[in-house]
Amino acid sequence: MKIIAWLAGIGTLLSGAVYMVVSLNRWEWNRALFFGLIVLIAEVGLATGLVLRRLARLEYTANRPDPTILKLLRENRPPTPDRFAWLRDSAARDLNVFITFLVGGGVLLSGMAWVVDRVASRSSNPMGEERLAGQLEAISYPRGGLLLDDITVLAQEVPGANDDQIRQLLRRGGRR
Amino acid sequence: MIKISPGRVALGVVGLGIGVVGISALREATLSTHEPTTEPFTELVVSARQHATEKGQTLDEMVEAQLLTCRLEVSSDFEGPIEPLGDGEFRARLVPALDETNRRQFRGCVEDFMIDGLQVDILEMHGGPD
Repeated sequence: MKIIAWLAGIGTLLSGAVYMVVSLNRWEWNRALFFGLIVLIAEVGLATGLVLRRLARLEYTANRPDPTILKLLRENRPPTPDRFAWLRDSAARDLNVFITFLVGGGVLLSGMAWVVDRVASRSSNPMGEERLAGQLEAISYPRGGLLLDDITVLAQEVPGANDDQIRQLLRRGGRR
Repeated sequence: MIKISPGRVALGVVGLGIGVVGISALREATLSTHEPTTEPFTELVVSARQHATEKGQTLDEMVEAQLLTCRLEVSSDFEGPIEPLGDGEFRARLVPALDETNRRQFRGCVEDFMIDGLQVDILEMHGGPD
Protein backbone atom coordinates (compact mmCIF):
# COMPACT_ATOMS: atom_id res chain seq x y z
CA MET A 1 0.00 0.00 0.00
CA LYS A 2 2.82 2.37 0.84
CA ILE A 3 4.59 1.52 -2.41
CA ILE A 4 1.42 2.27 -4.38
CA ALA A 5 1.08 5.63 -2.62
CA TRP A 6 4.71 6.51 -3.31
CA LEU A 7 4.41 5.49 -6.97
CA ALA A 8 1.20 7.49 -7.36
CA GLY A 9 2.84 10.56 -5.87
CA ILE A 10 5.94 10.27 -8.03
CA GLY A 11 3.86 9.57 -11.16
CA THR A 12 1.67 12.60 -10.49
CA LEU A 13 4.72 14.76 -9.96
CA LEU A 14 6.45 13.65 -13.16
CA SER A 15 3.39 13.74 -15.42
CA GLY A 16 2.35 17.13 -14.01
CA ALA A 17 5.83 18.48 -14.64
CA VAL A 18 5.87 17.17 -18.22
CA TYR A 19 2.44 18.63 -19.00
CA MET A 20 3.46 21.92 -17.41
CA VAL A 21 6.51 22.22 -19.66
CA VAL A 22 4.47 21.23 -22.71
CA SER A 23 1.81 23.81 -21.86
CA LEU A 24 4.46 26.48 -21.37
CA ASN A 25 5.96 25.58 -24.71
CA ARG A 26 2.53 25.99 -26.31
CA TRP A 27 1.93 29.37 -24.65
CA GLU A 28 -1.01 27.95 -22.74
CA TRP A 29 -0.47 29.81 -19.49
CA ASN A 30 -3.61 28.76 -17.66
CA ARG A 31 -2.97 25.10 -18.39
CA ALA A 32 0.63 25.55 -17.28
CA LEU A 33 -0.53 27.15 -14.04
CA PHE A 34 -2.97 24.30 -13.44
CA PHE A 35 -0.35 21.62 -13.98
CA GLY A 36 2.14 23.64 -11.93
CA LEU A 37 -0.35 23.55 -9.08
CA ILE A 38 -0.63 19.78 -9.46
CA VAL A 39 3.15 19.50 -9.35
CA LEU A 40 3.28 21.67 -6.26
CA ILE A 41 0.67 19.56 -4.46
CA ALA A 42 2.46 16.34 -5.36
CA GLU A 43 5.79 17.80 -4.30
CA VAL A 44 4.45 18.91 -0.93
CA GLY A 45 2.86 15.49 -0.42
CA LEU A 46 6.06 13.63 -1.27
CA ALA A 47 8.18 15.94 0.89
CA THR A 48 5.79 15.48 3.81
CA GLY A 49 5.95 11.73 3.33
CA LEU A 50 9.76 11.77 3.31
CA VAL A 51 9.92 13.91 6.45
CA LEU A 52 7.43 11.68 8.26
CA ARG A 53 9.38 8.60 7.25
CA ARG A 54 12.60 10.08 8.57
CA LEU A 55 10.88 11.09 11.82
CA ALA A 56 9.52 7.58 12.22
CA ARG A 57 13.03 6.17 11.82
CA LEU A 58 14.42 8.61 14.39
CA GLU A 59 11.64 7.71 16.81
CA TYR A 60 12.32 4.01 16.33
CA THR A 61 16.03 4.54 16.93
CA ALA A 62 15.41 6.67 20.02
CA ASN A 63 12.98 4.19 21.55
CA ARG A 64 15.15 1.17 20.90
CA PRO A 65 16.48 -0.20 24.23
CA ASP A 66 20.16 -0.33 25.08
CA PRO A 67 21.62 -3.57 23.67
CA THR A 68 23.79 -4.09 26.76
CA ILE A 69 20.81 -3.95 29.10
CA LEU A 70 18.85 -6.20 26.76
CA LYS A 71 21.69 -8.72 26.77
CA LEU A 72 21.90 -8.67 30.58
CA LEU A 73 18.18 -9.23 30.89
CA ARG A 74 18.31 -12.16 28.48
CA GLU A 75 21.24 -13.73 30.27
CA ASN A 76 19.52 -13.45 33.66
CA ARG A 77 16.21 -14.72 32.45
CA PRO A 78 14.77 -17.24 34.97
CA PRO A 79 14.95 -20.83 33.81
CA THR A 80 11.91 -22.43 32.29
CA PRO A 81 10.09 -24.45 34.97
CA ASP A 82 10.51 -28.20 34.47
CA ARG A 83 7.04 -29.51 35.11
CA PHE A 84 8.08 -33.18 34.72
CA ALA A 85 11.03 -33.09 37.08
CA TRP A 86 9.22 -35.47 39.43
CA LEU A 87 9.66 -38.17 36.81
CA ARG A 88 13.43 -37.94 37.23
CA ASP A 89 13.93 -36.82 40.81
CA SER A 90 11.95 -39.57 42.49
CA ALA A 91 13.79 -42.64 43.63
CA ALA A 92 10.99 -44.90 42.49
CA ARG A 93 11.13 -43.61 38.95
CA ASP A 94 9.53 -46.68 37.40
CA LEU A 95 6.60 -46.44 39.77
CA ASN A 96 5.98 -42.85 38.83
CA VAL A 97 5.86 -43.82 35.20
CA PHE A 98 3.49 -46.63 36.05
CA ILE A 99 1.19 -44.21 37.88
CA THR A 100 1.25 -41.89 34.94
CA PHE A 101 0.26 -44.63 32.54
CA LEU A 102 -2.34 -45.89 34.98
CA VAL A 103 -4.01 -42.53 35.27
CA GLY A 104 -3.81 -41.96 31.55
CA GLY A 105 -5.15 -45.42 30.82
CA GLY A 106 -7.99 -44.83 33.25
CA VAL A 107 -8.92 -41.67 31.48
CA LEU A 108 -8.84 -43.47 28.12
CA LEU A 109 -10.90 -46.39 29.40
CA SER A 110 -13.44 -44.05 30.94
CA GLY A 111 -13.77 -42.27 27.63
CA MET A 112 -14.24 -45.53 25.75
CA ALA A 113 -16.84 -46.71 28.28
CA TRP A 114 -18.70 -43.48 27.93
CA VAL A 115 -18.74 -43.90 24.15
CA VAL A 116 -19.98 -47.51 24.45
CA ASP A 117 -22.70 -46.42 26.86
CA ARG A 118 -23.87 -43.72 24.51
CA VAL A 119 -23.94 -46.10 21.57
CA ALA A 120 -25.78 -48.77 23.55
CA SER A 121 -28.41 -46.31 24.74
CA ARG A 122 -29.11 -45.47 21.12
CA SER A 123 -29.58 -49.14 20.15
CA SER A 124 -32.86 -49.64 22.15
CA ASN A 125 -35.87 -48.51 20.17
CA PRO A 126 -39.59 -49.47 19.93
CA MET A 127 -39.00 -51.71 16.92
CA GLY A 128 -36.33 -53.63 18.79
CA GLU A 129 -38.60 -54.03 21.79
CA GLU A 130 -41.40 -55.43 19.62
CA ARG A 131 -38.99 -57.86 18.03
CA LEU A 132 -37.75 -59.00 21.45
CA ALA A 133 -41.32 -59.51 22.66
CA GLY A 134 -41.99 -61.71 19.66
CA GLN A 135 -38.89 -63.77 20.37
CA LEU A 136 -39.92 -64.24 24.01
CA GLU A 137 -43.31 -65.50 22.97
CA ALA A 138 -41.89 -69.00 22.55
CA ILE A 139 -40.98 -69.35 26.19
CA SER A 140 -43.93 -67.50 27.71
CA TYR A 141 -46.63 -69.16 29.80
CA PRO A 142 -49.64 -70.54 27.92
CA ARG A 143 -52.37 -67.98 27.51
CA GLY A 144 -55.01 -70.30 28.92
CA GLY A 145 -53.03 -70.72 32.11
CA LEU A 146 -51.59 -73.83 33.63
CA LEU A 147 -53.82 -76.85 34.12
CA LEU A 148 -54.33 -76.99 37.85
CA ASP A 149 -55.78 -79.76 39.79
CA ASP A 150 -58.11 -79.18 42.72
CA ILE A 151 -55.50 -80.01 45.26
CA THR A 152 -53.26 -77.22 44.06
CA VAL A 153 -56.09 -74.75 44.02
CA LEU A 154 -57.18 -75.75 47.44
CA ALA A 155 -53.57 -75.57 48.64
CA GLN A 156 -53.71 -71.81 48.26
CA GLU A 157 -56.29 -71.69 50.97
CA VAL A 158 -54.21 -73.61 53.39
CA PRO A 159 -53.24 -71.43 56.30
CA GLY A 160 -49.49 -70.75 56.32
CA ALA A 161 -49.06 -71.60 52.61
CA ASN A 162 -49.17 -67.98 51.41
CA ASP A 163 -46.59 -68.28 48.68
CA ASP A 164 -46.35 -65.28 46.34
CA GLN A 165 -44.50 -67.23 43.71
CA ILE A 166 -47.25 -69.81 43.52
CA ARG A 167 -49.85 -67.07 43.28
CA GLN A 168 -47.88 -65.45 40.47
CA LEU A 169 -47.69 -68.77 38.69
CA LEU A 170 -51.38 -69.45 39.02
CA ARG A 171 -52.59 -65.94 38.25
CA ARG A 172 -53.70 -66.69 34.71
CA GLY A 173 -55.40 -69.90 35.62
CA GLY A 174 -57.43 -68.54 38.49
CA ARG A 175 -59.71 -70.64 40.55
CA ARG A 176 -62.05 -73.07 39.03
CA MET B 1 35.77 17.20 5.06
CA ILE B 2 32.94 15.53 3.22
CA LYS B 3 34.07 13.10 0.55
CA ILE B 4 31.95 12.99 -2.58
CA SER B 5 32.36 10.12 -5.00
CA PRO B 6 33.20 10.94 -8.63
CA GLY B 7 30.06 9.18 -9.80
CA ARG B 8 27.91 11.53 -7.80
CA VAL B 9 29.82 14.51 -9.13
CA ALA B 10 29.31 13.30 -12.70
CA LEU B 11 25.64 12.70 -12.04
CA GLY B 12 25.26 16.18 -10.61
CA VAL B 13 27.02 17.74 -13.60
CA VAL B 14 24.77 15.84 -16.00
CA GLY B 15 21.67 16.90 -14.10
CA LEU B 16 22.82 20.49 -14.04
CA GLY B 17 23.47 20.40 -17.77
CA ILE B 18 20.04 18.95 -18.50
CA GLY B 19 18.43 21.59 -16.34
CA VAL B 20 20.31 24.46 -18.00
CA VAL B 21 19.55 23.17 -21.49
CA GLY B 22 15.89 22.62 -20.64
CA ILE B 23 15.43 26.06 -19.13
CA SER B 24 17.22 27.66 -22.08
CA ALA B 25 15.03 25.79 -24.54
CA LEU B 26 11.91 26.78 -22.67
CA ARG B 27 13.05 30.38 -22.57
CA GLU B 28 13.70 30.31 -26.29
CA ALA B 29 10.29 28.81 -26.96
CA THR B 30 8.43 31.36 -24.90
CA LEU B 31 10.34 34.44 -25.91
CA SER B 32 8.63 36.94 -28.18
CA THR B 33 10.85 37.64 -31.16
CA HIS B 34 8.89 39.52 -33.76
CA GLU B 35 9.77 39.82 -37.40
CA PRO B 36 8.10 41.61 -40.29
CA THR B 37 5.70 39.63 -42.45
CA THR B 38 4.92 40.02 -46.08
CA GLU B 39 1.40 38.64 -45.89
CA PRO B 40 -1.45 41.18 -45.53
CA PHE B 41 -3.60 39.15 -43.18
CA THR B 42 -3.94 35.87 -41.32
CA GLU B 43 -7.09 33.82 -41.64
CA LEU B 44 -8.08 31.25 -39.08
CA VAL B 45 -10.81 28.65 -38.74
CA VAL B 46 -11.65 27.41 -35.27
CA SER B 47 -13.81 24.66 -33.86
CA ALA B 48 -15.55 25.28 -30.57
CA ARG B 49 -17.62 23.24 -28.13
CA GLN B 50 -19.16 24.10 -24.81
CA HIS B 51 -20.10 22.02 -21.81
CA ALA B 52 -22.11 22.95 -18.71
CA THR B 53 -22.03 26.65 -19.41
CA GLU B 54 -24.28 29.28 -17.91
CA LYS B 55 -27.82 29.63 -19.24
CA GLY B 56 -28.27 32.25 -21.92
CA GLN B 57 -24.67 32.14 -23.08
CA THR B 58 -24.48 31.08 -26.70
CA LEU B 59 -21.51 29.43 -28.33
CA ASP B 60 -21.17 32.31 -30.78
CA GLU B 61 -20.71 34.99 -28.14
CA MET B 62 -18.39 32.80 -26.07
CA VAL B 63 -16.14 32.16 -29.08
CA GLU B 64 -16.21 35.86 -29.91
CA ALA B 65 -15.22 36.76 -26.35
CA GLN B 66 -12.35 34.30 -26.36
CA LEU B 67 -11.01 35.40 -29.72
CA LEU B 68 -11.28 39.09 -28.79
CA THR B 69 -9.44 38.44 -25.55
CA CYS B 70 -6.66 36.61 -27.32
CA ARG B 71 -6.46 39.29 -29.96
CA LEU B 72 -5.24 41.62 -27.21
CA GLU B 73 -2.11 39.50 -26.81
CA VAL B 74 -0.96 40.09 -30.36
CA SER B 75 -0.49 43.20 -32.45
CA SER B 76 -3.33 42.53 -34.88
CA ASP B 77 -7.05 43.25 -35.03
CA PHE B 78 -9.97 41.41 -36.50
CA GLU B 79 -11.05 42.56 -39.89
CA GLY B 80 -14.78 42.15 -40.15
CA PRO B 81 -17.02 40.00 -37.97
CA ILE B 82 -16.31 36.52 -36.73
CA GLU B 83 -18.21 34.40 -39.20
CA PRO B 84 -20.04 31.26 -37.99
CA LEU B 85 -19.66 28.38 -40.44
CA GLY B 86 -22.03 26.02 -38.66
CA ASP B 87 -21.37 22.86 -36.72
CA GLY B 88 -19.41 24.80 -34.14
CA GLU B 89 -16.89 26.23 -36.58
CA PHE B 90 -16.00 29.89 -37.07
CA ARG B 91 -13.79 31.90 -39.39
CA ALA B 92 -12.01 35.17 -38.68
CA ARG B 93 -9.35 37.33 -40.28
CA LEU B 94 -6.57 39.16 -38.46
CA VAL B 95 -4.85 42.22 -39.89
CA PRO B 96 -1.93 42.65 -40.12
CA ALA B 97 -0.72 39.12 -40.47
CA LEU B 98 0.75 37.33 -37.50
CA ASP B 99 4.40 36.47 -37.49
CA GLU B 100 5.59 33.10 -36.18
CA THR B 101 5.81 34.13 -32.55
CA ASN B 102 2.39 35.76 -32.59
CA ARG B 103 0.90 32.74 -34.25
CA ARG B 104 2.14 30.48 -31.51
CA GLN B 105 1.06 32.91 -28.86
CA PHE B 106 -2.38 33.38 -30.36
CA ARG B 107 -2.89 29.63 -30.82
CA GLY B 108 -1.85 29.00 -27.26
CA CYS B 109 -4.23 31.61 -25.95
CA VAL B 110 -7.19 30.40 -28.02
CA GLU B 111 -6.71 26.76 -27.06
CA ASP B 112 -6.05 27.55 -23.41
CA PHE B 113 -8.52 27.46 -20.49
CA MET B 114 -9.89 30.98 -20.78
CA ILE B 115 -13.66 30.74 -20.31
CA ASP B 116 -15.25 28.08 -18.13
CA GLY B 117 -16.87 25.32 -20.15
CA LEU B 118 -15.51 26.44 -23.51
CA GLN B 119 -12.89 24.63 -25.56
CA VAL B 120 -11.69 26.14 -28.82
CA ASP B 121 -9.31 24.41 -31.23
CA ILE B 122 -7.70 26.10 -34.21
CA LEU B 123 -8.31 24.04 -37.34
CA GLU B 124 -6.58 26.31 -39.81
CA MET B 125 -4.30 29.31 -39.54
CA HIS B 126 -2.69 30.59 -42.69
CA GLY B 127 -1.54 33.81 -44.14
CA GLY B 128 -3.23 35.57 -47.02
CA PRO B 129 -1.72 36.24 -50.46
CA ASP B 130 0.96 38.90 -50.83
